[in-house]
Amino acid sequence: MSVVVPAAMLVLWELCSRLAIISPRYFPPPTTVGWVLADRVAAGDLGAELVVTLTRLVFAFALAAVPAIPLGLLMGIARPVRHVVEPYLAFIFPVPKITLLPFLLIILGLGEPAFVLTGASSAFFQIVISTLAGVQTMDPRLLDVGRNYGAHGLRLFGKVILPAALPAIFTGLRLGLGLALVTLVAVEFIAAKSGLGHLVYRHWQMLSTPEMYAAFALIGAVGLVLTRGLRALQARVLTWQDDSGG
Amino acid sequence: MPTRDPKVLVSEVSVTFESHGRSVVALDRISLQAQVGEFLCIVGPSGSGKSTLLRVLAGLVRQSAGEVRIQADHPGTPLTAMVFQEHALLPWRTVRDNVTFGLENRGVGRAERDARAREMLAMVGLARFAQHYPHQLSGGMKQRVGIARALANDPEVLLMDEPLAALDAQTRTIMQEELLRIWATLGKTVVYVTHSLEEALLLGDRVVLLTARPGRVSEIYPIDLGRPRGLEVRASPAYGVLLEKIWARLREEVVRAIADDRGADPEEIGA
Amino acid sequence: MKALGRWLTEHGMTVGSPIALLLAWEWASATGLLRAVFFPRPSTILAHLRDLALDGTLWGHTATTLARIGWSFTLAAVLGVAIGLAMGLWRRLREGLDPVFAVIYPIPSVLFLPLVSFIVPAGEVALVVTSAVTSFFLIAFTTTHGVRQIDRLVVEAAVHYGARGWRLFATVLLPGALPFIFTGLRLGLGFSLIVVVAVEIVSASRGLGALLWLSWQILKVEDMYATFFVIALLGALLSYGLAALRDRLLPWVPDVGDR
Repeated sequence: MSVVVPAAMLVLWELCSRLAIISPRYFPPPTTVGWVLADRVAAGDLGAELVVTLTRLVFAFALAAVPAIPLGLLMGIARPVRHVVEPYLAFIFPVPKITLLPFLLIILGLGEPAFVLTGASSAFFQIVISTLAGVQTMDPRLLDVGRNYGAHGLRLFGKVILPAALPAIFTGLRLGLGLALVTLVAVEFIAAKSGLGHLVYRHWQMLSTPEMYAAFALIGAVGLVLTRGLRALQARVLTWQDDSGG
Repeated sequence: MPTRDPKVLVSEVSVTFESHGRSVVALDRISLQAQVGEFLCIVGPSGSGKSTLLRVLAGLVRQSAGEVRIQADHPGTPLTAMVFQEHALLPWRTVRDNVTFGLENRGVGRAERDARAREMLAMVGLARFAQHYPHQLSGGMKQRVGIARALANDPEVLLMDEPLAALDAQTRTIMQEELLRIWATLGKTVVYVTHSLEEALLLGDRVVLLTARPGRVSEIYPIDLGRPRGLEVRASPAYGVLLEKIWARLREEVVRAIADDRGADPEEIGA
Repeated sequence: MKALGRWLTEHGMTVGSPIALLLAWEWASATGLLRAVFFPRPSTILAHLRDLALDGTLWGHTATTLARIGWSFTLAAVLGVAIGLAMGLWRRLREGLDPVFAVIYPIPSVLFLPLVSFIVPAGEVALVVTSAVTSFFLIAFTTTHGVRQIDRLVVEAAVHYGARGWRLFATVLLPGALPFIFTGLRLGLGFSLIVVVAVEIVSASRGLGALLWLSWQILKVEDMYATFFVIALLGALLSYGLAALRDRLLPWVPDVGDR
């Protein structure tokens, strides 16, 4: 079923487009999109834009994860820290991170830093919150076990708290990566002159729809690969975790 | 000996499941009967298909071969009502609405439903908790609601699938007394699955012993420990003798079941 | 007494921390430590906020944004719950649609604007439909999960006690999925705000997102901050408001705090 239905949809689209039941200008047949996709990838320019987006993503993700995880952990084990930081989290979390873009554009000017930071902000809050949750919802009995068997302070942290929180941290990273990608592509669409998001915008303006759909497909593919890939990685690394974890 | 038709007749029933492309025989030509008003206990090792047998009786599982017949002496009432192991109450309904669930589905009117619920909740000692939600109750209380639900349905035969297994030992003992009392009052025909031989001897008129998978009837033991029966029967010599005798057979089957699981030789498992 | 003291300290920190920050910001901006061009004084921002509110601009844009959120959320919710339920109940459907959804979901809603504008003439409808896309997927996902996570034993018991077909759906499957559906709706509403604002930034002339972008383009920084604050307020209301409602509507779900 999971192959048949999408395949059937594509076939239907192909037919309707070729037979002009739907406008082939606005909805070019999948085969045309496919050719254009292959062509552009071979020529290298689609690949170049993909690399641009991916590079931004890597930077955004790193910029987010590196401070977020320690902060989340700290908030989890030290109540005063949590009480001080919590109001900011609660305030910013429901805000569309894309709204940070204009501010960053003013402060940092129109360029990569602003784009990357906006993307990073999406991931940052998600990772902090997930990490904090990981620490807060760990089985408290594990702490008792740790202390009873001689683990205190740093050792308790490293051998008990951190591993216990790891599944939640991993889930947070996975969600954060997805969020960073979405925000980055949106930023590219709005304000950048390169990247997959920008491609969609450019080809929309020029009405070169096959190229536009090709960019779409690539974005969807990247998102899919990242989510599935990270999920598989999570299952690999955290082999003790049963399937229920996020 | 009773000369009328049995209340429950199971005749050469087999159940085969497809699992991962292989056929698993859960029950193999099971034949047994229960008379009207009898308390029939079924024991056996894990995997012997006890729960499956009960589900066949309840109509939740279709047998691959054989026949099941339940005598319908009271038209209009359901053939069976089952008390499930993990209570299986609907968490979003109050205790009272859980008890009347079966009646609702049969279109029984509100007034009668409420009356029946009051009666059953009183019988299980939960009259005060009618408006509570399941998550507010303890395990034992939830199980009592499950029993009330089954009784409220006024079935021809009451089926119980290890209803006390999930309870702690103390609550379980109290519940066993309750069950004896309720059964003595209502006189229903009961088919009761348990993995505890002690429990089966305490409650049952007869005990059916199933083998390890594929489940077959190994033997059926009459339990002549007198009625009415209370917890004190556990101290009687007759009880001890029965326990020894049946456990000897059951033990063999349990060992066989464990060996099966490990793919090992039964001889190696402390036989 | 000690407990009271502790409560005060903790909540004091939670409330005091932002206040302290605002005060520090005010001072830093006034003394030039922070460039007022980038970080205008909170007092100035407040003044601009008041002006915008008084002359009606703020209400106009807020109302537009709220209306769009309302429409797109309704669209996403109705379709999302319906299809989510269908996917939860029929395995074939779920298997068929899963890959399609998985590919479309990671694409930011804004990017669907071109597609939608091909089908529907550009304008309010296009905006609303575009904003509904990601929320739709979110709500459908959580709804499907809500149906599938219902304890099999509970369903079996319900069937055994005579619930079939429509009755089974109404008395068991739907209530069982409800907590998850609710979470999905809450998240979906939060998302609606995000996407509406994003789409407004791209292609609208009215609405909070448009106001924000416009203020940026003419470099009225104070107005930018003021608009941001309103958006944040809206976001908090939508996210946390619904959470409070949940306790009312779903009394059988135990509070996480109970455990």
